[in-house]
Amino acid sequence: MNAQSQVLLLAQRALVQFPRNPILLGFSVMPVLIMYLVFGGLFEGVAELPGFPTDNYFEYLAPTAILLATVPGIGNAGVALATDFQNGYFHKLLTTPTSVGAVMLGRLLGDCVRLAVQAGLVLLLAIALGAEVATGVPGALLMIVMGTLLGIVTFGAISANLAIRTRDAAAVQAIQPMAFLLIFLTSAYQSADHIDSGVLRTIIELNPAEHVLRPMRELMLSGYDWAGIGIGFLAIVLLGVVALPLTARNYRSAYS
Amino acid sequence: MTNCSPTAGTARTPLEHLIGPARTQRLESAPPPGDAIVLEDLAKTYPDGTAAVRGISFRVAAGESFGILGPNGAGKSTTIGMLGTLVRPTTGRASVGGFDVLAEPTEVRRRIGFAMQQAGVDDFATPKELMVLQGRLHGLRKHEAAARAELLLGIMELAEEADRRLATLSGGTKRRVDLAASLMHLPPVLFLDEPTEGLDPRSRSGIWDTLDRLRSRLGVTLVLTTHYMEEGDRLCERVAIIDRGTVVAEGAPAALKATVAEDATLEDVYLHYTGRAFEDTRVAA
Repeated sequence: MNAQSQVLLLAQRALVQFPRNPILLGFSVMPVLIMYLVFGGLFEGVAELPGFPTDNYFEYLAPTAILLATVPGIGNAGVALATDFQNGYFHKLLTTPTSVGAVMLGRLLGDCVRLAVQAGLVLLLAIALGAEVATGVPGALLMIVMGTLLGIVTFGAISANLAIRTRDAAAVQAIQPMAFLLIFLTSAYQSADHIDSGVLRTIIELNPAEHVLRPMRELMLSGYDWAGIGIGFLAIVLLGVVALPLTARNYRSAYS
Repeated sequence: MTNCSPTAGTARTPLEHLIGPARTQRLESAPPPGDAIVLEDLAKTYPDGTAAVRGISFRVAAGESFGILGPNGAGKSTTIGMLGTLVRPTTGRASVGGFDVLAEPTEVRRRIGFAMQQAGVDDFATPKELMVLQGRLHGLRKHEAAARAELLLGIMELAEEADRRLATLSGGTKRRVDLAASLMHLPPVLFLDEPTEGLDPRSRSGIWDTLDRLRSRLGVTLVLTTHYMEEGDRLCERVAIIDRGTVVAEGAPAALKATVAEDATLEDVYLHYTGRAFEDTRVAA
């Protein structure tokens, strides 16, 4: 069996595993949907501020909700990986002719598909609440791809590495709230122009998630900002260049 | 007695279905010659400086049932982990089926089954799904893997649990599922790391019976670790008793006991060779 087939089999396993754990399933989608509804309702008035890019706050919030589905959502993959270590299944896989790389990529691929589906669900809810995607289906798909990749290279890598190092699902779960910080420290709920604090604006500017969120919002509200999309992908690639080799190295350390 | 020869008009045995008439005949005629496993001065020191194994050498013949016995912390799991390509040896060499564990780990993995100390199963899968995936990762086609899983589930008396989530099964049943999954590709060598650790006497007895059936029906080379001396005595043709990372005695259980006293046990053998009493929990009858 070639490596691609092994990766596909393991991705399929990761996908089948997920919905069978109702707690993981519930906690990776429901909080996002609730937050979207609550924050959308609470801050609806923000859309009436002069210069705000849209008069529908749910529309403004939709890209944020996608990131909330993908970035903290990927943390559950780390929990599942730690569980595989705890119950010995990770090492069971290593006794087959499957490479560590295939085990890692299989899980990564499975998680990408899962996150994309979760992000799609959030977007469908936004549309049901009256939001419109200015760039249509292609733009919606591009938003989902960007959100999914950002989740993988940020909190996906952090939670996977923590899972491999600690082999403790509870430890991985404990850091999950940190993922929300990555998103809250962006222009997620309020456009940067309307934020008074200079310090906060600087932090937002330095946050790579902001550079992914901005072009996603453009895709949602106005059109294709190719320069912004390029910067967004550049941020993802730069994070990936650091995160993925580190993760691969830690995966290999399982064979010590 | 069941006739396993491929005679036209007679029903095939489950074993013939599983591995085909030719291999069944071969298994039932004579065990293949030569050493299945060779260890030469194999050692492992972990990064924190712990010398878990300090130069172990032994050979296991093809078709043999071999036990690595010793108290917790003696280096048993590290040794079997090195043989199973899960732990990288620091020095020395080992080969399984003629392939070096360090230089050719993938070839070794094609030829081994490994049942983990802690049943290595995915709690969210069913036994059948787990086994099919294991078979497919070993290169079986989907329908082959499904058919083989059915047969092994039958042999291991797991047919009733085949479609239940592993999370709902007992520890002993999970061990048997792990064992069955380890056999999906019909490996010539099977490693078992503490196969009955933590099990109640009834489950332990069930695993022993299963291992007896496997040896008699599949003819695999069996290497197991255990800190239950009576388990080694019951299941193994030869044993290596290890203590603090070195082999202190090796041979057939009866022969080893005879070197100590007429009515000696393997615990007495351990005491004789190490000067210390074997303090691990004795296995319940």
